[in-house]
Amino acid sequence: MKRFLSSVRDGRGFDITLVAFPLTFLFLMAGLPLIYNVVMSFQEVDMFSLGTFARPFVGLKNYKDLFAQPETWPILGNTVIFVVGSIAGQFLIGFGLALFFWVNFPGASWLRGLFLVSWVMPGLVVGAIWNWILSGDFGVLNFILKESGIISGNIFWRSDPHFSLYAVIIANVWLGTAFNMILLSVGLSGIPGDLYEAAELDGANAWQRFWTITLPMMRSTIGAIVALGLIFTLQQFDLFAAITSGGPNNSSNVTQYWAWDLSFRQYDFAKGATISVIMIIFVMFASVVYVRSTRHEVRG
Amino acid sequence: MGIRKFAMIGALALAGVSLFGLAAKAEDVTLTLWSLDKDIQPAPNLVKEFNAQNNGIKIEYRLIQFDDVVTEAMRAYATGQAPDIIAVDNPEHAMFASRGAFLDISDMIKGSSVIKPDNYFPGPLKSVEWDGKYFGIPKATNTIALYYNKDMFKAKGLDPNKPPQTWDELVEDARKLTDPAKNVYGLAFSAKANEEGTFQFLPWAQMGGGGYQNINAEGAVKALETWKTIMDEKLASPDTLTRGQWDSTGTFNSGNAAMAISGPWELDRMSKEAKFDWGVALLPVPKEGAERSSAMGDFNWAIFSSTKHPAEAFKALEFFASQDDKMFKNYGQLPARSDITIPATGEKLKDEALKVFIEQLKYAKPRGPNPQWPKISKAIQDAIQAALTGQMSPKDALDQAADKIKAVLG
Repeated sequence: MKRFLSSVRDGRGFDITLVAFPLTFLFLMAGLPLIYNVVMSFQEVDMFSLGTFARPFVGLKNYKDLFAQPETWPILGNTVIFVVGSIAGQFLIGFGLALFFWVNFPGASWLRGLFLVSWVMPGLVVGAIWNWILSGDFGVLNFILKESGIISGNIFWRSDPHFSLYAVIIANVWLGTAFNMILLSVGLSGIPGDLYEAAELDGANAWQRFWTITLPMMRSTIGAIVALGLIFTLQQFDLFAAITSGGPNNSSNVTQYWAWDLSFRQYDFAKGATISVIMIIFVMFASVVYVRSTRHEVRG
Repeated sequence: MGIRKFAMIGALALAGVSLFGLAAKAEDVTLTLWSLDKDIQPAPNLVKEFNAQNNGIKIEYRLIQFDDVVTEAMRAYATGQAPDIIAVDNPEHAMFASRGAFLDISDMIKGSSVIKPDNYFPGPLKSVEWDGKYFGIPKATNTIALYYNKDMFKAKGLDPNKPPQTWDELVEDARKLTDPAKNVYGLAFSAKANEEGTFQFLPWAQMGGGGYQNINAEGAVKALETWKTIMDEKLASPDTLTRGQWDSTGTFNSGNAAMAISGPWELDRMSKEAKFDWGVALLPVPKEGAERSSAMGDFNWAIFSSTKHPAEAFKALEFFASQDDKMFKNYGQLPARSDITIPATGEKLKDEALKVFIEQLKYAKPRGPNPQWPKISKAIQDAIQAALTGQMSPKDALDQAADKIKAVLG
């Protein structure tokens, strides 16, 4: 006891206490539900056994059943397209905008702030608005495309299985671009200006400066954004609920929406949990990327 | 001194509160009631009227959102905190009843002078039944029928007093009424990938001699083929696949669809919005003289089996049932009763429509009842959408749905 107290006083035990608190909190709030979810995926669960923990174990049956369903692989494929498409769109447009505002013309910071409007809007509201924009008969997007001569007939963004997934991706890109832009702007402003001056004196053109200075210096920021993007897009639920409901015929269904549908629409909680476990593996991969990319920042 | 004094005061206060609580309990039995009705809808008002009677029973009302009704209720039941009375969507009634979560009130109904099974339409009544016993009473009911724009019928040379009677006539009329140049579709309905899609398709399947147990029956396949014709020829908007009934009928009200399949919940909005002469017809049948069928919607009252006051809870249900005759006048909802004649509202179009809906109600069938309904419904929705998007033939899609349903039913 005395040794412990003295260790608190000289600082070592204090460190441990400091770490113990958040760790306990993290374990209770995030760890336990996670474990509960994994356990549930090996059990037989229905709505009335949801309240108890003692449920029959069925081994890998949920996983086997899930992969025997004809819609599983298409939905996993949709998820990959959605994640890659959304991240690519958000990142490229976000980076473009960040570079644009980096030029620092009068009013640049003010305009940049305005862009954040899209980020603070609730997903369901964004979904409802895009629902109208993408509507087939009277949608604004079809009107613009038709008037500018790009298409001749209306595209039924939400109801054509060839377009439905991309309809949600378009909305999600719009929603996430501002966040990417702000983070990338912060990254850009962290690059010392004298690097560019020196490069310019050495005769490097704009493209070379971007390629040899901006990109390498932004490495950790980009890594973090891609990792966060992966997590955010895997979380994206509201847009699916508001625009397509995963239809038609699952053509725009993704794992996160499906997990909800299985659990809370069909009351098949075990399968919902099983899908979630598969998603956890994805997100863990993202966290590894995130942690690795932010490790640089500590040293720098 | 300070702490001790505070502790004493605290203890006294606590004792006071609990004594007060006990005193209140000795007088009144308190029941809790959950429903999704907002203040202009029946439940909270009926509760208010019931409490005003001062008969020793008090009801506490709690509003829950539509999407939360089932999940919230079963969580509460699992943890022993279920309400005494709940209003639940009719296809979900069986799920609770089959697991013993709802109270079997057959005997109470037998002894009741207010609630008589014979007074109810057969469809709604069937939805509260499980295993031959009654596990609740219908709260209200609704069904779908065909709305049509009489002005457009006239403009296209069709008789406004002869709405389509059969599926073929419906498609034929829709072809004549569709006018892409004016942005007018012949028909508006919903084939959305949720319960609404099932709600709209199932009556067609049933009229064709199918049902959820034999969803791939010949007539049901023909029904889906008819739907596919309507979609393929663009007689209805392709967005039918992702639009709910409320939005679809909105296009009818704004003059962008000549006919619409929807329910009486549209009547109030339509009398305000629609600037044309409209009428309602019974849902078209496969061919003349074929069996009619219709979807049945709306909620049921049920008592949870965990209640400590079953007799009092049943008394509340009796009171609600005794107010059924005011359902349409006060709240615009149809009582599920065949013994009540609904008085006219004075609005001509609405009163005409009401007659058709009452007639259509005679053919209304509940979805299920089956405790696995959500999964059955999902299989049907997937089949509809797979066929309408051209990914599978109607026959194959319904065959697959039949397999899935067979697996669910075991």
